Amino acid sequence: MPEVAPRDVIEVPGTVKEQLPNALFRVELENESRGQVVAHVAGDASLLRLRPGDPVVVELMPYDMGRGRIVRRRS
Amino acid sequence: MSFQKSWSELQKMARACRIVVDTLDALEGAAVPGVSTKELDRIAREHIVKAGAKPAFLGYRGYPASLCVAVNEEVVHGIPGPRKLKQGDIVGLDLGCVVDGFYGDAARTVAVGRIGDEARRLMKVTLESLFAAIDLCRPGKRVGDLGHAVQSHAERHGYSVVREFVGHGIGTHLHEEPQVPNYGPPGRRERLVPGMCLAIEPMVNVGGAEVEVLQDGWTAVTKDKSLSAHFELSVAVTSFGPWILSEPYPYADQQAEARHA
Repeated sequence: MPEVAPRDVIEVPGTVKEQLPNALFRVELENESRGQVVAHVAGDASLLRLRPGDPVVVELMPYDMGRGRIVRRRS
Repeated sequence: MSFQKSWSELQKMARACRIVVDTLDALEGAAVPGVSTKELDRIAREHIVKAGAKPAFLGYRGYPASLCVAVNEEVVHGIPGPRKLKQGDIVGLDLGCVVDGFYGDAARTVAVGRIGDEARRLMKVTLESLFAAIDLCRPGKRVGDLGHAVQSHAERHGYSVVREFVGHGIGTHLHEEPQVPNYGPPGRRERLVPGMCLAIEPMVNVGGAEVEVLQDGWTAVTKDKSLSAHFELSVAVTSFGPWILSEPYPYADQQAEARHA
């Protein structure tokens, strides 16, 4: 009987709050008031030009909910 | 955690696995057109109890039967019911038992009567991918190597492997560390060491890899309703190589004092 593989990343909508050094951004999450996370961008260079206020989707790992990766813009 | 088993524990594992595979042999003979999947479940349970073991799936996380039956586009975890098998179906039979505190787990996809060429090819490729992974169950290999072997074999034939369900370590629990995905890059994940027991179980679809779980909370089907096959064996890593636990220990002649470690 196969084990059900846990989906180990969750995607959460958020809004960019602040640009940080090293291509990091502070992102405010929009659901369940989980507050802010520091997120790096995932691959796509166009994400490097994010500005405060941009809506994005952040991927979180259960191991460290305070950090995430921005996977795409949200329109 | 490496979950290494001692020689005497491997003997117990082998006993449980033997019972499972014997039962699957009986079920394969019973899977004929007109028989209901519920009936197969009853045969499985009786066979296991008669062998002095207990069904491992019954009650596991609330699962209501001893056997998982997956007909055609069903991938795994199908709950036995009134559905009757038809000529040309392929049916996955997944079974586990526990005896003396140790678990055995195995599955195979069998043909009901005469089946089409595509179904036969799918079953062949899935079984080959299982053995490609089993061949790699040697100390020093990694769990990721197994998944890579399964994925590359299946995809070479134009099929896809299911991601939502994975193989698993097995021993005093049905599911133990590590997880054994059927996909992914080689050289990653846990290093294999002698005494590890893994239930390796490729699930391969003719169409896309996506699956969805039905309303019953268990039955997984392919999203595009394409055929799916599933084979599983419990394998121990020994210093000589893989030991398929439902088979006799294959390295007894290699060393007077044949030990796994």
